[in-house]
Formats: sequence, C-alpha cells, structure tokens
Amino acid sequence: MVNQSPEYLFGQWLDNALTEDERSAFEALCVSDEDFAARVATATQLNVAAEQFSAPPMPAWDKNATFIAPDKPKWWQWQGLPAVSMAMSAAAMVMVLSGFSMQVEDGRVTMGFGQSVPKGPTEAEVAALVADRINDYQQANQAMFTQYVNALQQQQQESSTQLAQYLLKSSRQERREDFAELVQFINQQRDDDQRYYARQLTHLQREINAMDDGYTAVTE
Amino acid sequence: MFEKRDEQLIEQALKGNKKAWFALIKRYETGIYQYGIRMTGTPHDAADLMQDIFIAVFKSLSNFRGDGSFKAWLYRIAHFRCIEFYRRKRPDTPLEDSEELSCERPTPEHSLMSDITSQSLTHAMQRLPLAQRAVIELKFFGQFTFEEIAEQLGLSSNTVKSRLYSALSKLKLDLEVEHG
Repeated sequence: MVNQSPEYLFGQWLDNALTEDERSAFEALCVSDEDFAARVATATQLNVAAEQFSAPPMPAWDKNATFIAPDKPKWWQWQGLPAVSMAMSAAAMVMVLSGFSMQVEDGRVTMGFGQSVPKGPTEAEVAALVADRINDYQQANQAMFTQYVNALQQQQQESSTQLAQYLLKSSRQERREDFAELVQFINQQRDDDQRYYARQLTHLQREINAMDDGYTAVTE
Repeated sequence: MFEKRDEQLIEQALKGNKKAWFALIKRYETGIYQYGIRMTGTPHDAADLMQDIFIAVFKSLSNFRGDGSFKAWLYRIAHFRCIEFYRRKRPDTPLEDSEELSCERPTPEHSLMSDITSQSLTHAMQRLPLAQRAVIELKFFGQFTFEEIAEQLGLSSNTVKSRLYSALSKLKLDLEVEHG
C-alpha cells in the first residue's frame, strides 16, 4: 500500500527515494494538485539556486580568535586512564578467581593459574633445617677456633724461641763478662801475691842479710 | 596530493596544531559564511555568526565523537549559534515559528550580493520563520537528508518534512514577489 500523503511523497522525492509505485503516485499528485506541483517547482528552483548561489566574497576575518591553544592535559586527565583502570581491575579479578599464583625463588619467577598457594615448611622441617644450620655453624666455629689455636701456638712458639735465644745470648755475654772479671780479679790477686811474696822475699833477704852481718860480727 | 580527513585534522587541532585547525576552517568557512548570509540576511551579521560558530566549534571540538559526519555536527552547532544570534538580537522574542524574526526589507548590504537570484533568494528566506528557514537551508543548501536534519534540529523526521512543506509554499510566494 503506497503512502499517498503529499508531505511523505514530497519528502521521498527530495531524498530521491521514491519507489516505482510512489513515483506514480507522486506524478499523479503533480498533475492533480496544483499546490503540490507549485511546491515541487519551488523545490526544483531552490535546488538550482543552491547550485548557483553566489555570495559576496569572504571577508577578512580573525581566524586566530577561534583558536584557543588547548592546555596540555595532565597525566591524570589522560582519557585512557579509566580504560586502563578498568582493565587492571578486570585482570585483578581474573587473578583472584583463577587462583593465580606467583613465586620468586633463586632469581626465578614462576607464575601459574589454578594452583594452591604453596604452604610453608612443617615444624619438623624447620627444626631439621635449624639443626643443620646450627651444625654447620658449629663446624665452622670449630674450624675457626682450631685455626685460631694453631695460630696462637705458632705465635707462642716463635715468642718462646725468640725469648730463649735472647736469654742464651744475654747469659752468654754475662758469663763472658763474669769470666773476664774473674780473670781480672785472679790476675790482680796474683799481682798482689807476687808483690807480697816479693816483699816477703825482700824482707827475708834483709833478715838473712842481717843475720849474715851478725854472724860475721860474731865470728870476727 | 591526498587531503587529510576531517577526523585527522580535528585530532591534530586538539593537540594544539593551529595549521590543522585553519585547514579545517578553510574547508568549511565558505559554506558556513553562505549559511550565515542566508540565515541572517546580511554579510556583516554572517561574518559575525561565522566567527561565533567557529569559536563554539573549537570549544566543543573535544566532544566530537565521530559518530556522524563532522559537517553534520558543524551545522548542528551552527544552528544553535544562529538561534543564539537571534536571541541576542531580540531577547524577548520567542524563536520557534516566529514571524517577527524575518527581515522585511532588503538592507543596503544586499547590494553586495553578486547575483540577482541569490539576492532575491536570500531576501525571500529572511521572510520565513527561523525554524522553516533552517530546514530550507539544511535541505537545499546543506544537502542533508531529512533524518540528518531531524537529528540536527532535535525534531522528528515528519516534523521536518512538514516544516519544509509549509516553508516551500511561503517561499514560492515570496520569490514571486521578489521577481514580480
């Protein structure tokens, strides 16, 4: 059924969208309705006038006034921010719902979905681990102490040797000095004895001589 | 050389590229100026309206989402600026279907029009109410479809058709008077 409304047909004609039936109805209306035909004529006239419309030349106008340099948007005004925020939220939800887990071990990052979060070590494992560590610590300490004692002993030995050498050296020198003193003393004693004996001899000689003189006198 | 698309020029203009904005203006200024002449009736008012329109367009440029053509969006803003223009001129006059907004006499500036037919047409259009004038302008000079005009003016397609139908009847008489 063709819409016979003049306004509709007129609109269709202007939009160049008339079907065959509508075109027939339109043409019939143009013939029968003078007022309608006049509108069609005016529209045609307007189409031609629009094509041939000549306006006065473009005036010189201030285009610069229309340009307002936009402020550089701040980073929080970035239009992608809501989208990024939404995406991050969605990613977080997926991670939570899918049981996403991430492990960092020995410089390696391991990620996975649907895994339960690994539990920590048991009490026994902790105890064993602590015992191991203490044992290691003790061994290390012991080794260190042994090393320390050896070093001390060595140092002590060196010190003792040095002291003994010093003592030997110093006692030898003292003995030498003592002997020298003794020899000197003995020499002095001998000198003194010699002088004593010399005096005694001299005295004896004098006595002998005196005795000789007396004897002589007696004899004479 | 290929011309840049409107969307590319808009994107660059929004980043502060003055050259791109001027290229966009150059593309549409003649059309908008002629729209202004037909809607206001005088080259002087048309120039004022054109500047108004482009300032408003630049301010709203970031709101252009590219759903429709830039031209349609531009003429929608032009229509609102035109209404504002008349409101400023006659603050107490209701705009829709108002006969008082028409310019009864040709102004001396009409003589600036280079062509008699264009002069007559411009003058005849000034006798139409603003609402009808806008429909005639967008349909015959803007080459928009009824759907596009309806969207731009915020009306139903049938209302637009009805306004055009009424406007043509009045315009025919006015053109006859002008030529007569």
